Amino acid sequence: MARQNSKRNKPAASRNATHWHPPSTALPATNTLPRLFRRQSRWAWHALLLLVLSFQPALLRAQTSAQEAVDPGQVQSGSLLLRMANGYYAATALDTNVTMRINGLVARVSVRQAFANTGSEWAEGVYVFPLPDKAAVDQMRLHIGERFIEGEIREKEQARKEYEQARAAGKKASLVEQQRPNLFTTSVANIAPGETVVVEIEYLEDLRYTDGLFSLRFPMTLTPRYMPGAPLPDRQGSGWSADTSKVDDASLISPPMVGHSAHHRMTLEIDLNAGMPLDLIASRYHPVTVTENQGRYRIDLTDTTVPMDHDFELTWKPVALAAPRALAFTETVDDEPYYLLMVMPPAASNDQALLMPREMIFIIDTSGSMHGTSLAQAKKALQRALQGLRPIDRFNVVAFNSRTTPLFTESQPVDTRTLELAGQFVGALQAEGGTEMRGALEFSLQRAASESHLRQMIFITDGAVGNEEELFSLIERGLGQGRLFTVGIGSAPNSWFMRKAAEVGRGTFTMISALNEVGEKMDRLFSKIEQPQVTNIEVAWPASMVASAYPSTVPDLYANEPVIVKARLTGTPGNSDTVRISGNTMQGAWHDEIVLKPTGDNEAGVTRAQANSAGIATLWARARIESLFDDARRGRDPVEVRAEVVETALTHHLVSKYTSLVAVDKTPARPAGDPLRKDQVPNLLPYGQSANAIFGFPNTATNAAQLMQTGCLFLLLAITLLLLGRRQRHAAAA
Amino acid sequence: MRQRLSSGRFWLMACLLGIGFWQLGQGAYIPAKAWLAQELMLKAWHRAGEGVAQAVPWPWADTWPVARMLARGGEVDMIVLSGGSGRTLAFGPGHLNASAAPGAPGNSVIAGHRDTHFRFLKDLALGDTIAIETVDGVLHEYAVVDLDVVDSRRSSLLLDSDDTLLSLITCYPFDAQEAGGPLRYVVTARKKNQSE
Repeated sequence: MARQNSKRNKPAASRNATHWHPPSTALPATNTLPRLFRRQSRWAWHALLLLVLSFQPALLRAQTSAQEAVDPGQVQSGSLLLRMANGYYAATALDTNVTMRINGLVARVSVRQAFANTGSEWAEGVYVFPLPDKAAVDQMRLHIGERFIEGEIREKEQARKEYEQARAAGKKASLVEQQRPNLFTTSVANIAPGETVVVEIEYLEDLRYTDGLFSLRFPMTLTPRYMPGAPLPDRQGSGWSADTSKVDDASLISPPMVGHSAHHRMTLEIDLNAGMPLDLIASRYHPVTVTENQGRYRIDLTDTTVPMDHDFELTWKPVALAAPRALAFTETVDDEPYYLLMVMPPAASNDQALLMPREMIFIIDTSGSMHGTSLAQAKKALQRALQGLRPIDRFNVVAFNSRTTPLFTESQPVDTRTLELAGQFVGALQAEGGTEMRGALEFSLQRAASESHLRQMIFITDGAVGNEEELFSLIERGLGQGRLFTVGIGSAPNSWFMRKAAEVGRGTFTMISALNEVGEKMDRLFSKIEQPQVTNIEVAWPASMVASAYPSTVPDLYANEPVIVKARLTGTPGNSDTVRISGNTMQGAWHDEIVLKPTGDNEAGVTRAQANSAGIATLWARARIESLFDDARRGRDPVEVRAEVVETALTHHLVSKYTSLVAVDKTPARPAGDPLRKDQVPNLLPYGQSANAIFGFPNTATNAAQLMQTGCLFLLLAITLLLLGRRQRHAAAA
Repeated sequence: MRQRLSSGRFWLMACLLGIGFWQLGQGAYIPAKAWLAQELMLKAWHRAGEGVAQAVPWPWADTWPVARMLARGGEVDMIVLSGGSGRTLAFGPGHLNASAAPGAPGNSVIAGHRDTHFRFLKDLALGDTIAIETVDGVLHEYAVVDLDVVDSRRSSLLLDSDDTLLSLITCYPFDAQEAGGPLRYVVTARKKNQSE
C-alpha cells in the first residue's frame, strides 16, 4: 500500500510543475515589451496576455525536458504492466575500440570496452552487447591504468561468486557472461569517480564464404527484443522487460535504449591477410579506406569514430582464378591435431535450374521493431520475391505481429489476380505490436504438404525475439520435406536467429540492411534456391584415426556454398593420409581429397592449401558446444549436455552458457564506507528505428493547443499593427 | 507616401489575420472533430449492436467501433475505435489491435489523446470503476488498480497477462503544449469479480 501512495504523489507533484499558468519567471520579459502599449492600456493588456500565452510553448518545452530527466528515474515501477529500466541516465559512459586480424578463414578480434565513470560516486557498469553469432570468446583482460589482469575461465555461478565477492570487498573486477550465443554481458565493479576502466574481450570466428565472397559482420547494437509469455514475479536483471514464462532471462537481455548519445562511439581497424589475391574489398554500411602492403590490407573507417547504431560488414572477393576450391588449416594442441576444412563443390551450370513446382510461403514480420526502414526493406524484398514466382508455382503471404494474418487460407496458383492481391496486401502492411512468431510458423508449417510441390518458406524478419530456442524446436519438428530460408532485415538483426533458424530449416540465410541491396540479395537468394542441392555429403577420415567432427552430419548444400568441417583427430597423420569429401550433384557423384599433413604456410595464389593456423582448436570447441545444444534441443539429457559443455569450455577457455570469464584485482580500491552505484549502460537504438513503435506506445497528444497559440500570436501581431497605425495617425493629426 | 504605407500595412494585416484565424480554426477543428465523431459513432454503435459486422461510423472510415466506455458515473460515455493510428485517435480513443480484445482475458490497451477524449484520465483515482460495453452488449466492469507515469522510450507494453486487464494510455503531462513527448500516463484497471 505504501508503494501505491508514494507513486500517487509523484505524478501529482510533477503535474503542478507544468501547470498552465505562466510561471513567474516569465514576467520580467514583459518589461522589455515596446513602449507602444503605454497609452492604449486596455488593448495593450489584452495583447500582452496573448503574447505571454504565445510564449508558453517554449517555456513548457524547457520544463518538460527538465522533467524527463527526473521523472522516470524516480517513478519506480511496480506496475503490473510496465517496467522501467533502471539507470537510464547512467553516469557510466561507454566507448569501444575494435581491432581485427584476419588470416585466411579465421578472424581474431579484440573488443576494448572503455567504461568511464562521469559521476561523483563509485560505479559498477553493466553492459549488454552483441557479438557475431559464431564468436568463440576465449580471452578477457581488465586494464587498470598501465597494468592488466588476465581473466580466468570458471563455471558461471563460480565466476559470478568471485566477481560479487570482489565487488563487495571494493576490489576492481570484471566479468563476461554469455546470455545468447550472440549476446553477452560485461560487468565492471568499483570504477572510481572520474576514472576509465577498459575491459578487453577477444574472440575468434571463422568467416562466411558464399557466392564467391568472404564476409564478416560486426554487430554494434541490438534491436530490442519481444518477450512472449506472462511476466514472472521475480527478476534476475534490471532490463526494461520482466522475466517471463517463455523467456526466463528477459530482464537480462533487455538493456535500456537511447536514441542519442555523446558516447557509444567505436573505432575499428582491420588487418586482412586473405592469403590470395583479391579483386575487391568492400564495406557495405560504413565508408572505409583500404591500404595495401605486400598482399596484406589494412582497412580503416573513413570517419575516425562511428556511432554504434548499425552492423558493420566487410566483404572481399578473390580474383576468379584464385577462388579457393579446398582449404585446410590445422593446429596441434596437447598432441591432438585439429582441422578446419573448407571444400567447394563444383558449380552447377545455369541451365540446371530446378524444374519441380514449388509452394512458396512468404512469412513477413510486421511487429513494432520492424517499423521504419526495416519494414521498407522487408516490403521491397517481398515485392521482389513475388516477381520471382513462376507460373508452375503456388504461393501465399503470411504477415504477423501479435497475430497472424495470412493473405490466403490456402496457397494459391500464380496468376495476375493472385499477384495483384498479394501486391496490395504487401503494400498495405504496417508495423506495430508484438512478435508472436509461433502462430505464423505454425500456420506455414502445418498446412498439408502437397506431393507435387516442394515447399519453400521465406521468412523475412529482424529476429527480435527472446524465445529463439522455442522457435528452433518448432521449425525442426514441423519442417517435414519443406525448407525454411531466413532473410534478416534491419540495422541490427539477430544474426544467431537468422543462421540457426535457417540451419534447422535446412535452408540458408541472407542479411539485408539497406534498401539499395534488396534487389541484388533477393535475386541471389532466388537463383540459389532454384538450383539443385549437393546431397549426401560425406567426409571420410583415414581409417587409422578417430575423428570428432562438427557438424556431425553435413547438411545438403545450396549453390556456391562450401562444405565446412571442424575436426579433432587422434594420432598424427602420415604423409599420405587424406580426408575424402564426397557428395551427389546434378552432374553425378563428386569427390575431393585433401592431404592432412601440413605442407607449409598458407601461400598466396593457390586454390588448395594446408597451413598451420592458431585458433583452430578453439573454433572446434565452439562448434562442439553448439552441436551439444543441438543435441539437447533434439531431446538429449540436459544434465549430460551441461557436463560436456562445461568440460569443453573449461578446457578451451571459452565463454559459454555455463562458463564465464572473470578477472579480479588483488588490492581493494574503494574505501570501505563509500557507496557503489550500479549503472546499466544503455545501447544505442538501431539506425532507422523508433522507440515508440518498438515499445508500442501510440502518440497521444494533439497539436490543438499549439495551433490555437500560433493563431493568437498572429492575431496579436495584426492588432499591434492596427494600434501602431492609429498612433501614427493621432501623431500626424496633432 | 502615407497612402502607400497604409496599403502595405493593410495587406500585412490581412495576411496576419488570415493566418491567425486559419490556425485558430485548425486548433478549434480538432476538439470539434473529436466531439462530432463521437456523436456519429454512438449511432454507429447502435447499428453495430443490431448486428452489422464492423459497422463503420461514416462511409469512408477506416476504423470502426469496438467497444463503448463508461466512467465517472456516466459523465464519460464514449466509443472506442479499432486501432491506434493518429487518424483513428482524432475521432476517439483507439483499441490497440495487438492487445487483447476488450473484455477478453489478457491486457486490453486503449489509447486516447490527453487533450480530448482521455483528458478525464487525470481525474481517475484508485478504485474507480470503468465499464466497457462490448459489441455483443455485455458490460464488463473494471476497477482502477494502478496509476503510473512511464517513459515510452524505455518501457514496453506488456500485452500478455493471465488477468483480465484494461490499460488506458495517454500522453503526460496533461497540460504540456508540445505534442510528441516521451512520457505516458497509464491507468491500469482489473476486471471485477474475477476468480483469483
